[in-house]
Amino acid sequence: MSYVTIDQVTKSYDNQVVLENISLTLKKGEFATLLGQSGCGKSTLLRSIAGLEGVNVGSILIDGKDITNLSPRQREVGMVFQSYALFPNMNVFDNIAYGLKMKKVKNIKSRVNKMIELVDLIGKEESYPHQLSGGQQQRVALARALVMEPKVLLLDEPLSALDAKIRKSLQKELKRIQKELDITTIFVTHDQEEAMTMSDRIFVMNKGKVVQSGAPSEIYTTPANTFVAKFIGNYNVYSMEVFHKLVRSSELKGDEVAIRPEVLQLVSPGEDCPDLQENWGIKGVIKDVTMTGNVLRYEVEADDSYFHVDYLHHRGLMFEQGSRVQIIVPKKECIVL
Amino acid sequence: MRKIKKQKIYLLALLLPFIIFVIGFEIGPLVAMIKNSFYADDGITVTINQYITIFKSKFYLSGIKNSLIISLVSAVISVTVAVIAAYSFTKFSSKIQNRLLMIANMTSNFEGIPLSFSYIILLGNNGLFTLLFAQLGWDLFADFNLYSWTGLILVYVYFQIPLAVMLIYPSYQGIKKQWKEASSLLGGSKASFWFRIGIPVLLPSIVGTFTILFANAMGAYATAYALVGSNYNLMSLQIASLVASDVTLKPQLGSALGVLLASTMILAMWFNERMMRRIRRDLR
Repeated sequence: MSYVTIDQVTKSYDNQVVLENISLTLKKGEFATLLGQSGCGKSTLLRSIAGLEGVNVGSILIDGKDITNLSPRQREVGMVFQSYALFPNMNVFDNIAYGLKMKKVKNIKSRVNKMIELVDLIGKEESYPHQLSGGQQQRVALARALVMEPKVLLLDEPLSALDAKIRKSLQKELKRIQKELDITTIFVTHDQEEAMTMSDRIFVMNKGKVVQSGAPSEIYTTPANTFVAKFIGNYNVYSMEVFHKLVRSSELKGDEVAIRPEVLQLVSPGEDCPDLQENWGIKGVIKDVTMTGNVLRYEVEADDSYFHVDYLHHRGLMFEQGSRVQIIVPKKECIVL
Repeated sequence: MRKIKKQKIYLLALLLPFIIFVIGFEIGPLVAMIKNSFYADDGITVTINQYITIFKSKFYLSGIKNSLIISLVSAVISVTVAVIAAYSFTKFSSKIQNRLLMIANMTSNFEGIPLSFSYIILLGNNGLFTLLFAQLGWDLFADFNLYSWTGLILVYVYFQIPLAVMLIYPSYQGIKKQWKEASSLLGGSKASFWFRIGIPVLLPSIVGTFTILFANAMGAYATAYALVGSNYNLMSLQIASLVASDVTLKPQLGSALGVLLASTMILAMWFNERMMRRIRRDLR
């Protein structure tokens, strides 16, 4: 039974379509991510769910209730903004209590204190936003949304303004809180690694459409098209014609071939290619080696085509720039698009 | 090291004209005014009699009272109108906003004798509109007297509103759209947003503007002089007649009134600041 349903939603500004016939469903307690490049419509979709933007066509349902035409405050959704949007004239306690005061609920103090404890901000109740770090401000924003016990929590790139270390720790924190409260969450990001780490399900968006949805591992290992392959996993993508020339075989049929950089292997040209039944061997030259901490990325040129090959960074370089190598391409890892 | 020192000397040298200006035209006259206020009319005997004279004289006290009332009323009216007007400015396209600001800028500088004459021509006893309305039989302005307290307030408000708009307008740019969105998602209405977030955020600017308008009105001389001459008892008119009159020159008494005028302004500033900090605790 779906808890959130987006049914054929379309939205356009000045004759430009921003969301095109989007349909998706979420289960209760699911952590879903809308992933895509800037301008793909992911934030607009999130804002449409929040009621901050209207839609031209389609409907949005939460817990069986059609909220398409309701005002933001009637929707029972919580939202955390990229810029935190904390009220600068209120301290941490008052920021979190704001929504409860608006709803005139009882025991505001205990509910706010519980939230402060949940987001680990005890002792900061009296601090004002400008006295807090970016990470702390984002925790307040999260607590302010969660204290209302919303049916759906919407997160609009909430971590993108933070530095890498705090970002990683807040990712874990966010996931922990989400699991603890079992709250249905829709997260918007352009960072595929963040999407992979946090989500139960990812919706990849491009030009106002959802181009693929599925569990992170499913999206990563079986991209549905070239866009997803390139955006999600830095895949090596070749037209079938070029690929046939490279492997000197026309075994695969289709338009394009995508291969993940970490499934490729490099061996010296003198070494035998392991199991020709299972693999292809392509001769090439190392053009560049880059190191991203734990990963070594080789750029290998072969017949005017380039391959990215990723290796875990063991001690020392395996191949120097300019070395002649053989790229081993496992047949079963080639994804035909 | 030597290079830095040399650079500092050059920079200080560049600042010199400004320092001379401030000392010569601001600090100097202020010190002279304070000093003068403690001398008797002969300019030799040191005394506090000038202050005693002021506080004992009903005439001077009513002048102070009139100035305070007219400044407070015109500042309150102008700030209230400007808060709403500046907000409505923000709702237009940036092109229209620029035009509106240009008009505000122009009208805020339109004060003094030209402004008073414009009003006299339009709304004076034989003013264009006064006569026109009389001809048309409209008694809209029948009881209106430009050369009265109401007339004075009207003219003050005329040049205070655009100034207030110019001063408050930029702070509306500081109100983030996302605060409104967050507030509405948390169940807040538009009114509760403005009451709890918008106005408190604008408050420093409103208070600052109020202080400037108050001081502006307290010190306004030319407009009042051209409009009501000596018919109306205002602090600025009294000071002028004491220091530059053809009949009775009492610069020491004028200085004492001047010190009191400056003190009210400082007091108003201090009071506003205190009130604001009470509401905006985050600014402490």
